[in-house]
Amino acid sequence: MSNPTLLSARDLRVELRSRRGSFQLTADALDLRGREALVILGANGSGKSTLMRTLAGLEHPDGGTVVSVATGPVTMVFQRPAPFAGSVAHNVRVSFLGSKRSSVDRRVRVEEALERFKIDHLAEHRAATLSGGELRRLALARAFALHPAVLLLDEPFAGLDADGQAALSLDLRRAISDTGVAVAMVTHDMRRAMLLADRIAVLIDGKLAQIGLRDDVLERPATPEIAQVVGMTNLARGVVSADLRGDLALVEVGPEHRVATQAECPPGTRVWIGIRPEHLKVDVGRGTVDPIGKGVVRGVVNDGVTVTVRVDWAGTELRTFLMAGRGLARSLEVGAEVSLSASPEHVHLIPDRSV
Amino acid sequence: MTRSSGIECEAGVSSAPPMGRLRSPRLLIAALAVLACSDQAAEKSDLLLVTTTSVRDSGLLYELLPIFEKRTDVRPQIVAVGSGAALRMGRDGNADVLLTHAPDGETELVASGAVVSRTPIMENYFVIAGPPEDPAGVRGAASPANAMRRIAAATAPFVSRADDSGTHRREVALLKEAGLDPAGGWPGFARTGAGMGQTLEVAGERRAYVLSDAGTFLAFRERIELESLSQPDPSLRNVYSVLRVDPERLDPARAARAEQFEAFMLDTETQRLIAEFGRERFGRPLFRPLHP
Amino acid sequence: MNPPFDAMLIEITARTLAVCLSALAISLAVGLPIGIALGSRRFKGRVAAVSLINTGMGAPPIVVGLIVYLALQRSGPFGGLSWLYSLEAMVLAQVLIALPLVVGITLAAVGSLDDDWELQVRTLGVPKRWRLWLLVREIRLGLLAAVITALGGILSEVGAVMAVGGNLEGETRVLTTAILMHTQMGQLEEALGLATILVGLMLILAGLLTAVQQSGRT
Repeated sequence: MSNPTLLSARDLRVELRSRRGSFQLTADALDLRGREALVILGANGSGKSTLMRTLAGLEHPDGGTVVSVATGPVTMVFQRPAPFAGSVAHNVRVSFLGSKRSSVDRRVRVEEALERFKIDHLAEHRAATLSGGELRRLALARAFALHPAVLLLDEPFAGLDADGQAALSLDLRRAISDTGVAVAMVTHDMRRAMLLADRIAVLIDGKLAQIGLRDDVLERPATPEIAQVVGMTNLARGVVSADLRGDLALVEVGPEHRVATQAECPPGTRVWIGIRPEHLKVDVGRGTVDPIGKGVVRGVVNDGVTVTVRVDWAGTELRTFLMAGRGLARSLEVGAEVSLSASPEHVHLIPDRSV
Repeated sequence: MTRSSGIECEAGVSSAPPMGRLRSPRLLIAALAVLACSDQAAEKSDLLLVTTTSVRDSGLLYELLPIFEKRTDVRPQIVAVGSGAALRMGRDGNADVLLTHAPDGETELVASGAVVSRTPIMENYFVIAGPPEDPAGVRGAASPANAMRRIAAATAPFVSRADDSGTHRREVALLKEAGLDPAGGWPGFARTGAGMGQTLEVAGERRAYVLSDAGTFLAFRERIELESLSQPDPSLRNVYSVLRVDPERLDPARAARAEQFEAFMLDTETQRLIAEFGRERFGRPLFRPLHP
Repeated sequence: MNPPFDAMLIEITARTLAVCLSALAISLAVGLPIGIALGSRRFKGRVAAVSLINTGMGAPPIVVGLIVYLALQRSGPFGGLSWLYSLEAMVLAQVLIALPLVVGITLAAVGSLDDDWELQVRTLGVPKRWRLWLLVREIRLGLLAAVITALGGILSEVGAVMAVGGNLEGETRVLTTAILMHTQMGQLEEALGLATILVGLMLILAGLLTAVQQSGRT
């Protein structure tokens, strides 16, 4: 059973005029479904905030429609938590100003919202005294107290440390599945995106370029630009070869560099191959399984948890991650020759339309 | 927290009381109040002349005093206050010489010995001014007292200085003569507690009757659009006198200068100037000298 | 020549309170909404409007008094109202003096709010009526500063009030103008008596407002 669609945007067009010039946001179709989190990815200035505000009803589109078919409110939480003067409980009660609910009902909802985000013990504290993480929880509690049908979040994890982010995403995830709310979220943190997203939408220069299930978008971006945005940063141009390796197609990226892929494309097609860094394996000596050729190490950066290795391969720079502390990570040096490999199911093809 | 806009002072040309005269805290405060609005030219004070605002506003002193200065090398400072205050300053010895026009109070001062001489030098007449339409019929009144009775009977608006000045005292005398409450008391009787100019402005604004000295009235007449409705009458006679404070209470140099001033005011040349003063500006002289 | 002084004290004090509190109420009623409106929005000419207000805040009160006088005198544009030398004129002058203060301080208080504040309130579904209440609540310390400043200026104003009111006994005489008059007439005991009452009034009112302000901080 699929989740119900609660908010639909169709043929959206929003024009913004500012001193820096005009900017247009277009989105053909975007749906927000209950109990789902849609993460919106895009470079700075690609229109993420404008899209959020239009979905929230704060901007009026110049074309197209945004329709909410839900029975509950559409609400938004902004990047800066903006607490109101007064106690934490008062802040959450603000959501009920002017509402017809009884005071008992209100109290129950307020308590419920505070508990959901584990700040019920701070109910009578002045909101101004809260820490950054507690303020973010307050902002979410305030929004959830409304029992929203649709919730739009702008950078909900900004400024939190790793533990804080982990804890908050857990509570948020639970809140989403408990209440069935449809969530759209803007975040710069790819990891957070991958953890929370059920579906992903990608904006390129104001255009909604791709929207789909998380893995579909992450593993099968439609264009090289989208691939960059979703973290498939290893891209190289090649031609689909007439040869086959078993059932697999081969892409010639260079004379020494042929990559096997499960994707299907007619021979002779010019393509981009894309491999997510986490799917690119590097080893010294002969690569055994699924080799794609040799490369030379250009950089090794160790941040204590992960080692990022940059490798020159077929004239392109590829990137992969190794766990710090493992033998290979410790021994890799700049200039070393390495063998690269990638499983064919992880080699994605994008037709090269630039020819 | 205060944003007041300064005290309006009645002090004229730079004035300050002589430094040796601080007799009581009250005088100290008075001195400070005056000092607050004036230059501190205490060292240059040769002669403290206290007069009334109407005399100062007439401009006569500004014409005569430069001549006095050139002739005698004495530099007088003018302080202009209400008649009551002027007489009090004379009584308390806070002035060297007075030029006032409140005969009753002046006579008292002489009697008490605070002041050693009273020399009338010029006169003019108060005027009862009012709107040209003259709703109360002041023009036809037989006497100024009668005029006041008519104004009261018509409950026409009247503006009084109510500041114990010479003009105010004359007004009170007229009201008494008319058998009326000296504080006025009919609806429309307003009290400004202020100088003649301010009082005339209010009268002009309200189209009211007002008793004024001739000089100030002539200066304001066009602006406030009121007319003089009374005739010169003994009860409106306004005599200006020079009073010298008892020399025993002054230092000899100042007492001598006070005498010089009195002599100057009586001088033929000065009296001639007084006789002509105002003709240019108002078409007729403001004062009639008493010793031509 | 003056009526019994003590009887007048009560009358003058009552009139002072009536005039000053009216002027305060009007300048708050007019100035607070303007300050909130100007502070919340970005619009063309906002910089010009704010500069105008800052100039108004520094304007000498006596100049305001002069302008009101010129406007209200018989030969002036509003002479028909016959407001010169009346309580209306005094309240008007004081309102004009206090208005830039109120608008300026309120504007600054609203401007110090987060940019997203208004948006957040809207998206929480707070109805328009309540949004204003919430805003006032957020800036209430700033608003109190505006009230205290305006009240102080109004209570101590003497020049403008004298010029447009005329200090007429029983009609437009208030504490400040009466103090001035008695001082000029040399009646210093009366002047001091009035001054004591004025200072007492200021202390009481300022004290009350400060107590409210400080309680808001805890």
